[in-house]
Amino acid sequence: MTDNLYLPKIGRIVGIDEETQGARAIKTFKVEFPNDDGFEHDCGQCAMLSMFGKGESMISIASSPLVKEYKQFSIMKMGRVTSAFHAAKIGDFIGIRGPYGNQFPLNDWKGRDLVFIGGGVGLAPIWPVIQTAVARRGDFGKITVFYGARTSSDIMYEADFEKLKASAEVQLSVDAPEEGWPGYTGFVPANLMDKAPSPDNAIAITCGPPIMIKFVIQNLQALGFADEQIYTTIENKMKCGVGKCGRCNVGKDYVCVKGPVYSWAELKSLPQEY
Amino acid sequence: MEKILNQEKLREWVDMLDDCEVYAPAFADSVWNFARIEAGTDIDLSHTNTIGSVKEFVFPQREVFFRFEKKDGVPVLTPTLPDPKPTVVFGVRPCDGRGMPRNDTVFNKEFVDPYYWARRDKLTLIGLACNLPHSPNCFCQSVGGSPHSEDGLDVLMTDLGDRFHVKGITVKGVEAMERGRDAFDAVRDGDQAEVEKVHDTSRSFPQRPLGNLDAIPEAIRENFDSPLWADMAQHCIGCGICTFLCPTCHCFDINDEVISPTTGEGERVRTWDNCQFPDFTMHTSGHNPRADLGSRLRQRVSHKFLYFVENHKTQQCTGCGRCITECPVGIDIVAVLERVSQ
Repeated sequence: MTDNLYLPKIGRIVGIDEETQGARAIKTFKVEFPNDDGFEHDCGQCAMLSMFGKGESMISIASSPLVKEYKQFSIMKMGRVTSAFHAAKIGDFIGIRGPYGNQFPLNDWKGRDLVFIGGGVGLAPIWPVIQTAVARRGDFGKITVFYGARTSSDIMYEADFEKLKASAEVQLSVDAPEEGWPGYTGFVPANLMDKAPSPDNAIAITCGPPIMIKFVIQNLQALGFADEQIYTTIENKMKCGVGKCGRCNVGKDYVCVKGPVYSWAELKSLPQEY
Repeated sequence: MEKILNQEKLREWVDMLDDCEVYAPAFADSVWNFARIEAGTDIDLSHTNTIGSVKEFVFPQREVFFRFEKKDGVPVLTPTLPDPKPTVVFGVRPCDGRGMPRNDTVFNKEFVDPYYWARRDKLTLIGLACNLPHSPNCFCQSVGGSPHSEDGLDVLMTDLGDRFHVKGITVKGVEAMERGRDAFDAVRDGDQAEVEKVHDTSRSFPQRPLGNLDAIPEAIRENFDSPLWADMAQHCIGCGICTFLCPTCHCFDINDEVISPTTGEGERVRTWDNCQFPDFTMHTSGHNPRADLGSRLRQRVSHKFLYFVENHKTQQCTGCGRCITECPVGIDIVAVLERVSQ
């Protein structure tokens, strides 16, 4: 008998960080495998997390594959399962199966500049790429990280951003004016145009709300980035994670298996159903 | 292996399969459907097509993946993998037989689905060639099949009036025939010619045409943004019967059902789901990639005649016609494809 792919492993929450508060609060959970049956993952992959009695949700793995002791997930409070996560305490048990999906082709990007553009909770799926690139700093050229949130108190991974400044250029923005805010004021795509990173030998990686991604890609193209130089990660509603339940497809691709990572060149060739 | 089985010996064969669960079509509540056959019961193979397809034997409407409970504060999961008796199904029409390898592909590719295969490995499909089209909506030949296709079947029976010609196709099929050894007679001179004549005649009846099958994917691609989808879906009531009765539709949902709120005991359950429902694809945010009826009809048709072809080089439709016959508002996949191809 093969492995039962629908049977989750048991995970234990060992850390909870409140990233943002309010109606769409975000918390970051550190999860360990108490039975020592954890799995390795690659940058960009996801895991199906469950709260028994509530159900499952597909969440991107926000920690670097280089971190072996735990996996990190940043979860916005939205529905039944994610609300149950927000009600969880340190020590609580969850279900976890995966990893699912493809990965960012980081090894193909050796020697190139990397431009990351994140917005809101959309920072989580590209965070492991940022962390891995920084850990392998010598492999890459200039690393720039653009990140925008609604307000300064909505900025995720605030302490990590401070550390990141040692090895990358960090460009933060908030949507509306705030007294004493040292960074850019305005939306992420506008900040991108303001700083105008060079497309020469560069790769741009973006994730955020769909509307942000749309304008970021337009602006990257205006800056001279080719479709093959732009990567994003998409999401659709998922239940199985293994290309069988039928709902996350974009054209012929099940995002849970063939995605979530696509170059804009690839994504452009698929129907606009995401 | 090819044998002859006199009509009155059918029951004898069934009786010799007494270590198996045997199913055959039965007429009840105005429809044919597969029903469990107890030993010593006659089976009637004069059926048209069953209302439900054989996929239900491998992909039941509701299936428990595992039970969860808490012991000393720690979740304990107990998988509920099925362990069925060997199951033999009689009277499977070739369109349903052809559906099975397509389902095998879905539940095998990339990740093996252990629940599906626990049932599938124990299942033997005894097909019955269609001497006459059983519905005006049959189009098996238009999607590359035939009324006597062996694809996906373990045995193919052909009705020759007073007797059946029985052909073992797979190892499982030959085993089922060997179990009923004494019931069978040898094939005699002339039987083969008679089978061929019946098969030839069965292919000569008119079916719903689809035109050039190879041109359909491109036609769908070209019409992705066409208003024809919304136009042809405007009377859809979103009931999903087209997919539930389809021998190849496999979409499902997974949910937790709590049995005891006090102990937290419950089950994780797979149930059939349906691409025609708005919440099938709706994100928690409310954003929906297929928010309207037109995009959902396009998905059903594209999945079968474009995406599955792109991924697996064959259509995910075997022309059984159930989705046309049983649609309460007359949505007709052949008519949709005809319009797409215009």
